[in-house]
Amino acid sequence: MTVETLLAQALKALVSGLTMGMVFGLVALGLTIIFGVMDIVNFAHGEFLMIGMYCGLLTYSGLGADPLFGLPIAAVVGFALGVGCYYGLVQFLLRGPMIAQLFGTFGLMLFLRNLALLIMGADPRGVHHGALVGKSFVMGPGIVVELTKLTAGIFSLLAFAAVWWLMNRTRIGLALTATALDGQAARYMGIPTEKMNAFAWGLGGTTVAVAGALLVNFWPVDPNVGLLFTMIAFTTVALGGFGSIPGAAFAGLIVGLLINLPPIWDAISAFSQWPILTAGEMHQFKYSFVYLAFFLIMVLRPRGLFGWKY
Amino acid sequence: MEVLKRTFDFSDFPRTDLCVAGAVALFLLIFPLLPHSSFAMATMIQFLMFSVYGMGWNTIGGYGGQVDLGKAQYVGIGAYTTAVMMIRWQVPFWVSLPIGMALAVGWSFILGYPLFRLRGHYFAIATIAVSLVLKDIFEAWSFVGGARGLKIPLRTDMPSFLYLQFREDYYYYYVILGLFFVGLFYINWFRQSRIGYQLRCIKDNEEVAKSLGIDAHWAKIKAYAVATAFVAAVGSFHACYNFNIEPEDTMSLDLSVLIALMAMLGGAGSLWGPIIGAAVLVPMKNYLGAWFGAKAGLVGLDLIIYSTIIMVIAAFEPRGIWGLITRLRESRRN
Amino acid sequence: MARKSLILVSVAVLALVMAAPVWAADEIKIGVLYPLTGGAAAEGKELRDGAELAVEIINNAKPELSMAIAKNAGIKSLGGAKVKLIIQDHQGNPQLAADLAKKLIQDDKVVGLMGAYHSAVTKTVSAVAERFGVPMINESSTSPALTKEGYKWFWRTTPHDTTFTNDLYEFLDGLTKGKAKGVKAFDPKELLPIVSACEKTEWGANVDLAIKEIGKARAVPVQLSLLYAAKAPDLSSEVQSLLAPKPATMLFAGYGADAILMVKTLKSMKAQPKLIWGQNAGFESPEFLSALGDDVNGILTRTVFSPRVGQVKKVAAEVNGLYKAKTGRDLSGASARAFTATQTWAHILEKAGSTKPEALQKAANEIMIGPDELIVPWKGVKFATTGSDIGQNELGTGMIGQYQKGKDGKITLEIIYPFELATADLIYPFKGW
Repeated sequence: MTVETLLAQALKALVSGLTMGMVFGLVALGLTIIFGVMDIVNFAHGEFLMIGMYCGLLTYSGLGADPLFGLPIAAVVGFALGVGCYYGLVQFLLRGPMIAQLFGTFGLMLFLRNLALLIMGADPRGVHHGALVGKSFVMGPGIVVELTKLTAGIFSLLAFAAVWWLMNRTRIGLALTATALDGQAARYMGIPTEKMNAFAWGLGGTTVAVAGALLVNFWPVDPNVGLLFTMIAFTTVALGGFGSIPGAAFAGLIVGLLINLPPIWDAISAFSQWPILTAGEMHQFKYSFVYLAFFLIMVLRPRGLFGWKY
Repeated sequence: MEVLKRTFDFSDFPRTDLCVAGAVALFLLIFPLLPHSSFAMATMIQFLMFSVYGMGWNTIGGYGGQVDLGKAQYVGIGAYTTAVMMIRWQVPFWVSLPIGMALAVGWSFILGYPLFRLRGHYFAIATIAVSLVLKDIFEAWSFVGGARGLKIPLRTDMPSFLYLQFREDYYYYYVILGLFFVGLFYINWFRQSRIGYQLRCIKDNEEVAKSLGIDAHWAKIKAYAVATAFVAAVGSFHACYNFNIEPEDTMSLDLSVLIALMAMLGGAGSLWGPIIGAAVLVPMKNYLGAWFGAKAGLVGLDLIIYSTIIMVIAAFEPRGIWGLITRLRESRRN
Repeated sequence: MARKSLILVSVAVLALVMAAPVWAADEIKIGVLYPLTGGAAAEGKELRDGAELAVEIINNAKPELSMAIAKNAGIKSLGGAKVKLIIQDHQGNPQLAADLAKKLIQDDKVVGLMGAYHSAVTKTVSAVAERFGVPMINESSTSPALTKEGYKWFWRTTPHDTTFTNDLYEFLDGLTKGKAKGVKAFDPKELLPIVSACEKTEWGANVDLAIKEIGKARAVPVQLSLLYAAKAPDLSSEVQSLLAPKPATMLFAGYGADAILMVKTLKSMKAQPKLIWGQNAGFESPEFLSALGDDVNGILTRTVFSPRVGQVKKVAAEVNGLYKAKTGRDLSGASARAFTATQTWAHILEKAGSTKPEALQKAANEIMIGPDELIVPWKGVKFATTGSDIGQNELGTGMIGQYQKGKDGKITLEIIYPFELATADLIYPFKGW
């Protein structure tokens, strides 16, 4: 193996890491909005994603349309789901201690997952045709960019910018921020905090359901798919700092790069021929890198990289 | 002497509580003599295991108010210590049990120190993260069998009390029942001890606790170690009871969450809470699944019911079932 | 007080109510453990349907079928007693499966057990069966370690991963020598380098070991082998590593959604191997086909059954017809093996003429079912009683199939190996996506 191939491998891992990172950022965005406003970690976040994915899938298989037409449907469904969960469950949870919130949303996760199992069945399903399905293009020295991931990445940037604008430049965003900083004071100022909370849940649900409808162009969907993303979304959000919008974007990129360390290790192993660097061994620890980095950063900086809540 | 007195001192509970507790204890003792199905027996053993898990979790999670979602890693350490020592060096269960607990507690001190710099959600997620890292390491570590896990070979001299190998489940039942009572009395001492009061103070307001001169960080680490010893002991038992262990079933996130969930649903921070939680959730989990699971078309319905109950309790009575009982009692008194 | 005594009473009632139900004496109960919910629910359903079809044939005389179990209604040597399956759902959870096995043995008083798909679950259940001295037949767990324990109460009808992996290397060897239908001999170096990726549980880790060891022994070593977590949202880093040495042959073992994601990722990363082979499970489940559609065209999977077997075995076509009428689907590797294991149970009961465990053990060790009886293309069912693989069916063989898109646009799993059973020309090299 030559130096060029080593560099090409590293570059491939970098590109793949950045695109994947943007996808993770998009998935984590909704979680961070909800947390920022009301200090509640939503265990059911991945299930919202799963429902978004089924929206895209059913648009494809039920209506016979391109799965991309599922995006607006998913946005509506996600908003309704978020608001519904807020009024049906979360507003009661907010009165209790943190532990009740964790388990309340954990119950919600089990509920949504098994409801999907009851209705949709256990089989993983996927879409076969569509503007983005199965498309990818090659750049430079054999770097393959997957179109779904790239679109999700661009979408992720747009969504982050839009949410940042909403939170910082609009009246409703200022009201949300005020609710986040001090709910009681916000109420005295005449801000309808209940409605603000519900809106935050709706917004969180919308972003993640849209992310799901986009991801179904590539990922197969089954009722258990949510948990796979939930843990990554948790670490992404905590790494960036709960409640920080730019933090989630940045942490998503870090997570994406960390899970692409194993291919670089393998490339170095093939390049150096040292028997001590066994190729292929590192893939088992792919997610451990993420958790370990999370743990270290937490210990060194307990509020996360960009966090303002502690 | 003082310690012993406190261990068996239940006098602060109302007499009705003690009567019921006595009746339950009697029932537990004679359960194997009553006519029962073996699935009920297996369910009872699981109920006892989860009660002890929950009692352990209750020290840090209930009295201390720190939501720990990474207890499964210590279950794994206990289970693996027993299994490795039994398979490789023929060490009896009763010797490897304290060693496993010691190893787990040692590891909990190493982790506890940095972990308790974190609070709230950060702490909860960090406990999940470290637990999953350890699971990944065990899945790749060939000395402990890697992802394939370990299998304890059946001995020819069965039944063997020393190695905890029996054909009939009621032997296992009495072993775990013994652990259950030891744990119950220990927790009874714990809640009235200095550290017990310190923890409750920290839970209510950490700043106030610190101003009173309590070393909050150290108190939490100690409680975390106590919780660890409990789950590691049951982990060792699990290895012998189940004959084979894998990282996937002893160290999974599901188990961590289940441990915390049962204690919380029963009532975190009360002596009886974890036991009630396990008594409700374990049979429900086993029997609902058996009723609905195999029936075509109703796949998932059991967990829908199960999760609805979790949501309702979390939303309306965060102190759990025990909180519900307390509330009813108070309303009757008024 | 009242509330607490309520809890006490409910615990007591639960314990007492679950007493063993009483069954009619002329029923032979077999306890079955399958994953009907959880990650492998789809396979669990297949297994259940296959086993239930076999029971239907055992319990009713179906003279149109040319197999022994269809001749008369019920088990003849037991006075025409009917077989009844008691199916339990273990959700892929070994602990629950062990508890359910105890329930089946002690409460339902089953004469034997069957199950349990996941190797990790079968491992736990077989330990319970051994402790209680109850015969257990395993239909579809392929971890070689299961029959290495020297158990006296455990028999396995399906071939295991060592056999299957051996078949794979036989196939590769034969392919380069021009034995495969429609492919001329070529230089063996064309198939190198070989890379493999397996999911990291009991089963995948064992497949990984078998692939590496047998490859080494046959002097076609695997250049890169890795294990991955099946419950993971992304496989692109794994695929990138796999593609780095520009592999000609890619070998996989995956359970369900991960197998689908793996193929999708391979496609999106523009992989150009000459051969893709999957070790059954995720690669031959019906949802693999339905989720990927045309993308599976040309992928190989080891299997034990394909509807195409019907072309070479009459009985397989007959049973497949019945199965299709019942469920609307063709038999798959899972359902065909569940069928065969249930059929084996009937033969054992017939031979034993008793439901005593010792008689069943003796019968199981002596049984010999001929190849004409079976719907799977094996040389028969006969369990090893000595050696290192006690309880393993010695006559089982593997098959390798290839997904091929027919002229009608439908995708079928064509038989490629054994070469003499081949039902279609091999597509080689893999055409890409």
